[in-house]
Amino acid sequence: MSDLVTGDGRTHVRSTLMRESLQDRDVQARAYSERELEIMPDVVMVSIGGQSIFDRGAEAILPLVEELAPLMQQHKLLIGVGGGTRVRHTCAVALDLGLPTGGVAQLVGAMEECNAVFLNALLARHGSIPMQREHFWDLPLYYRSGLTPIAISVPPYHFWEPPNDEGPMPAHGSDFGLFMHAEVLGMERIIYVKDEDGLYDKDPKRHDDATFIPRTTLAELRAAMPQEMILDRQVFQAWPDARHLERIQIVNGLVPGNLTRALAGEDVGTVITRE
Amino acid sequence: MSDTEHPAEHATDRRTIAGPLADAPLTGGAIQGLDYEPISMDPEVRVVKLGGQSLLDRGRKALFPVLDEIVAAKDRHKILVMCGGGTRARHIYAVASELELPTGVLAALGGYVPMQNARMVQMLLAKHGGLYMLHDDFEKLPLYFRLGCLPVMTGMPPFAYWEKPVEGTRIPSNRTDAGVYLSAEVMGCPRAIYIKDEDGLYEHDPKKDPKAAFIPRIGVKELEALDLPDLIIERSVLEHMKRARFCKEIQIVNGLVPGNVTKALDGEDVGTIIHAD
Repeated sequence: MSDLVTGDGRTHVRSTLMRESLQDRDVQARAYSERELEIMPDVVMVSIGGQSIFDRGAEAILPLVEELAPLMQQHKLLIGVGGGTRVRHTCAVALDLGLPTGGVAQLVGAMEECNAVFLNALLARHGSIPMQREHFWDLPLYYRSGLTPIAISVPPYHFWEPPNDEGPMPAHGSDFGLFMHAEVLGMERIIYVKDEDGLYDKDPKRHDDATFIPRTTLAELRAAMPQEMILDRQVFQAWPDARHLERIQIVNGLVPGNLTRALAGEDVGTVITRE
Repeated sequence: MSDTEHPAEHATDRRTIAGPLADAPLTGGAIQGLDYEPISMDPEVRVVKLGGQSLLDRGRKALFPVLDEIVAAKDRHKILVMCGGGTRARHIYAVASELELPTGVLAALGGYVPMQNARMVQMLLAKHGGLYMLHDDFEKLPLYFRLGCLPVMTGMPPFAYWEKPVEGTRIPSNRTDAGVYLSAEVMGCPRAIYIKDEDGLYEHDPKKDPKAAFIPRIGVKELEALDLPDLIIERSVLEHMKRARFCKEIQIVNGLVPGNVTKALDGEDVGTIIHAD
């Protein structure tokens, strides 16, 4: 596949996509097969909420750190952290100033990174290490060394955050970033640690009559998406085309033992399955 | 099960900073109590893409005259030059797809070729102030323009491993056309310019069908309604255009025709204009 092809004014490298328009639907279909490589299927992504957990301070974070320490020895985890109230404040100021969506997206990741540094400081003695942005290929080194990486949660869309239907806020937040991070590595499941028991049909903080949803499927959820979602909507827009992720679990990290049970495969909290 | 009870009705409190977003869902959605009056960062900038397969793979014969026109216009306009990938990117996608690697890996790998192309163009433009820049240098553009430089960067957006998979193909949806478009949108530019080797948009690939009808101006919805099996621009660009606040038009011009690039930089409607409806 290494010979060069000329004759039409351009120099081509021979390949199945040579000379083709990558917008052509038949050509696109050529770059497809049902199977896809699972790069690290045995790693579980654990996302720790920013506003839901971190903004509660020591009382919420320290018990979770205690719980995580032994879990880091038992499972191959990749941990991510949301940004919480400082992200909201950043966005409120940026939007008041009229900054474009991509400009807001450029700003927010800094606040999530602060929480990742906090968490790493607490977990370092138990063997955590910050994972640099795209250093996916260092992960085997970390796991062989018994280390648990802490990832940057916000995806690197930055100035290039596409405009979205709903408003000027960037649509691709930390829940989505960790979702994609897990999907591209071929993981089967993500556990989102929040301050609610899981998914409700509306925000239980605002509505006393909110109904808890212990188990649902992606299709059921997409057919009737709750107005107020505990996770980024983009997660549920990207999931149908994902190849690997089978299970999203949302657990209450204020209840000791929940994360342990979720990692052991128990149906604690809300379980959303792809099928 | 303890998780079905409401736990300790939140023995701890969320220590939030007051503001209109303090309790709002963080992504998307309209925000009450916040008036959003968007500002454009620098609408004067001309964001220009040099096509990969269409221009850069043609080598000096095609590229030098285009660069000459850009250099001649650089003191009249602030020009951000962005580069496409081309045949080597296609080779990467073909090999990676055969190996059944995920879309995000293809997107990350596909970024290397436009980066090479941008570096080549920088070398050619060096004596005229050509500067190679990274995504992280985007905020330094005002400096580069003040200095009379010609910044050159990859057209790929930085999504890389975070590029969303789509059904039916592993080729990333957001490639260099999308990156160029989103650069123009965030800058607040009304138009992004794509220099290719066709006069613009046709109803079919004119390289395969010489009788294909030329389309000088068309709206995004109308274009989508044609449901063309092929397009000269990435389909994701049309999706982004529908939601755009600033960049309501894209222009596709034939860089092989002398004078076209100059006309496009000066704002003339040469080639095809695709507009948001």
